[in-house]
Amino acid sequence: MTRLLHSLCFTALVFVALPPMPVFSQEAHIIVGSKNFMENKLLAEIFAQLIEARTDLSVERRLGLAGTQVCFEALRTGAIDLYPEYTGTGLVSILQQPPTGDPRTALNTVRAEFLQRWDLWWLNPLGFENAYALAVPRARTTGIPLRTISDLVKVAPSLKGGFGYEFINRPDGLPGLETRYGLTFQLVQAMQQSLKYQAAAAGEIDVLDVYTTDGRLAEYDFVVLEDDLLFFPPYEASGLIRGSTLAQHPELGAILGLLANAFDAGIMRQLNYRLQEGGEPVEVVARDALSALHLFASDDAGTQPVSHQEGLLAYMWAKRTDLGRRIIEHLTLAGLALGLGILLAVPLGLLLERQQAIAEPVIRGIGLTQTIPSIALLAFMIPVFGIGILPAVIALWIYSLFPIVRNTYSGLRDAAPQAVESARALGMTEWQILHWVRLPLAAPVIMAGVRTAGVITVGTTTLAAFIGAGGLGVPIVAGLQMANTTVILSGALPAAALALLIDGFLGRVETWVRPRGI
Amino acid sequence: MKPPVLSTRDVSKEFGPGVRVLDHVDLEVVEGETLVLIGESGSGKTTLLRMFNGLTHPSSGEVRIHHEPVRVKDPINLRRRVGYVQQDAGLLPHWTVEENVGLVPLLLGWKPEQRTNRVRELLDLVHLDPQQFRARYPIELSGGQRQRVAFARALAADPGIVLLDEPFGALDAITRYELQRQFLSLKQRLNKTMVMVTHDIDEALQLGDRIAVLKEGRLLQTGTPADLLNAPAHDYVVQLLRHRSRGEHA
Repeated sequence: MTRLLHSLCFTALVFVALPPMPVFSQEAHIIVGSKNFMENKLLAEIFAQLIEARTDLSVERRLGLAGTQVCFEALRTGAIDLYPEYTGTGLVSILQQPPTGDPRTALNTVRAEFLQRWDLWWLNPLGFENAYALAVPRARTTGIPLRTISDLVKVAPSLKGGFGYEFINRPDGLPGLETRYGLTFQLVQAMQQSLKYQAAAAGEIDVLDVYTTDGRLAEYDFVVLEDDLLFFPPYEASGLIRGSTLAQHPELGAILGLLANAFDAGIMRQLNYRLQEGGEPVEVVARDALSALHLFASDDAGTQPVSHQEGLLAYMWAKRTDLGRRIIEHLTLAGLALGLGILLAVPLGLLLERQQAIAEPVIRGIGLTQTIPSIALLAFMIPVFGIGILPAVIALWIYSLFPIVRNTYSGLRDAAPQAVESARALGMTEWQILHWVRLPLAAPVIMAGVRTAGVITVGTTTLAAFIGAGGLGVPIVAGLQMANTTVILSGALPAAALALLIDGFLGRVETWVRPRGI
Repeated sequence: MKPPVLSTRDVSKEFGPGVRVLDHVDLEVVEGETLVLIGESGSGKTTLLRMFNGLTHPSSGEVRIHHEPVRVKDPINLRRRVGYVQQDAGLLPHWTVEENVGLVPLLLGWKPEQRTNRVRELLDLVHLDPQQFRARYPIELSGGQRQRVAFARALAADPGIVLLDEPFGALDAITRYELQRQFLSLKQRLNKTMVMVTHDIDEALQLGDRIAVLKEGRLLQTGTPADLLNAPAHDYVVQLLRHRSRGEHA
C-alpha cells in the first residue's frame, strides 16, 4: 500500500515537477506565430529577427500552428501578437465573404473589417502574392494545348486531380473553381501538400494545386495554368498584428513597415526553394533575406545549413541542441499531463469503487474521450485556452485519464474477493479493507494503467506541435512538410525511444509495487 | 439446560421478491456446543451462518447473540470477537502467515510482542512449526496448511464463538480426515461455542454435538447425532443418513 502510494506520488511529482520549464518566461515580449508551412514560417522568422535586431523587445516564436483557424484564434485571443497572413485568406476563410479579383479591394475590405471587428491591423503588403494555381506536369501536356484553366476544362474529365485538404474544402479553392469554370475531374484525391508533387512527378495524378511562390515549381517541370477567368482571389502576404500590441509598442509599425514591397514572387520562390529542397533552417534563410534587404548586416555566424543527404545520425548530432530542447519540452508536456492524470484518475477510481452504481457510466463517459481524434481535441482547446503549453497539457491530460481510472476501478473491484470477504468477516472496517487489502492487491493493475497512459501520452505529445507547444512533434511536422524523412525521423526516433524508456521505467515500478506473495 | 449464546427467532430471508432462502427458522446454540448446519447448496445454511456475525441480516425475525439483537450491535466490534473460517481459507495473499494469524489482535490494538507470542502459541496449536512457517506467504503453503492457518487466525483473539463455513470442503480426503481429527481434539480442549456449515453428513455426525438439517430454507430437524439416527423426523433426514459411509460412526 505505502509502496503504491509512494510510487504514484513519486511518478506524479517527478513528471510534474522535475523537468525545467524554460518556456514560461514572463518578461515584456512579442509573440510571433505562423502557420504550419514553410513560407509562412519564414515570414514569421523574418518578422522576429527584424524585431530582435531593431528593437529592445524579446521575441517568442510560436511557429507552425495548425492552419488558419488556429493562428487567427490565437491572434484574436492574444495568445500571439503577430503572424503572416494573406489577404485572400482573410477575406474568404476568416470573413467568409465571396472572393474578389481585385487586390486593392481585397486589402481594403480586410483592413476595414478586421479593424472594426477585432482591432487587428493588416500591415502594408510585403510585395508578393502566394495565390492558388493549378499545375500540370509538362510530360502530361504533350499534344494538348494546355495554357489556361479554360483549356483544362476540356480534358479534365479524363484527368486525376490531387489536391490539398484545405484546397478541397475552401470556397475559393476547388468547389468555387469547379463552379466558375464548369470543371470536373475523373477523380479527386485529397493529398498532403508535399506528397502531391511526388505523386504528380510519378504520374499518379495529373493536376495539382500549387502556391505561386512554391520553391518546388523551379525543380519540377510543371506547367502553371493561367487563371484566365480571374477566379482565384489575390493572396497578398502581409503581417497581421493586434492593435493593442501596436499601441503598446508603436515602433513595431515602423520597423515592420520596412518590409513593405520588399519581396516579389521570384525572390520568394528562391527562398522557399532553399527551405523546401535545400533543407536549410528557417533562421538562416530569414537572416540571408534580411541581409539582402540591408535590414541588418549578416555576421555569418548562423547555423550551417545541414543537407538532408547526410546520414540520419549526423543530422541528429548536428541538431543535438535543438533535439535536446525538444526532448525536454516533450517530457515536460507528457509528464505534466500524466502527473495530473494520476492525481485525478486514481482518486476517481477509488471513488467509483465505492459508488458502483455510477461507475460504469462514468468510466464509459471517460472512455469516449479516447475516441475524439487528437487533432480535433487540440483544436477544441484553442478558443478556451489559447495556444501553447496549457491547451496541450489539458488535451493530453484528458487522454491519460481513461486507462488509469479503468484500471484503478477494476483492479480494486476484482482484488482477491475471498481475501476481502474474510477480512470483512474478521472485523476490518471498509477503510482498512481498502488500505490493507484492496489497494495493495490492486497496485500492479493500477500501475499497469499508469504505464499504458504513459506510453499513450508520450506518443500523443508529438501532436502538441500543432498548437505551438513544442516537443518532438516539431521536427516531425516540419519533416512532413518538406517530405524529408531524415527530419521526420529526427523527431520520431527520439519520441519512440522516450515511449520505450517510459514503458520500461513504469514496468519496473509495476513490478516493484507488486506485493510479495502474489 | 444452559442459556443460548446464539439464537434465531422466526428468521426469514428473501433476496428479492419470491427468492426466499430462509423460511421462519428458530434455532438456539448453547454455550460450549458445536452445532452443525447441514444441507445441500441453496438450503440457506451459509446465509444463516453469516447472520451470526452481521455479514447479512434477516428480512424478518431476529438474530441474537448473548440475548442482544445482532442488528443493534456494532458489526465491526462484533466480528472482531467472533472467529470465522471459510472454505478456501481466505488468507490475505500478500501477508505472511504471522501477519495473517495476527490480524485480529492487530485490529484490537495488541502490542507487537503480544501478537508475536500469540501467533507462536496458535501455530503450535494447529501443528505448524512457527520457525518454519511464520514468514511464509499463503502461496507457499499446501491447502491443508492454509486451512490450519485460517483456524489459527480465527482463534487468535480467543473468541467465545467461532463460525466455520465448510472449513474442510476444499481439502483432499486424507488431509480432511487428519484435520477433522485435530479439530475434534481442539474442540474438547478449547470449549468454544461453534457453528459449522457442511454438506457432508459424516462430518456432521462426527463433529457436531447437535445437528440442524436445513432444506430449501426450512429447518427440518434439530438434534444430537443419536437423535437423528434413532428418530429421523423427516424423509429427507432418512435420505441424508443413507448417504453416510458405513462404519464411520459408532
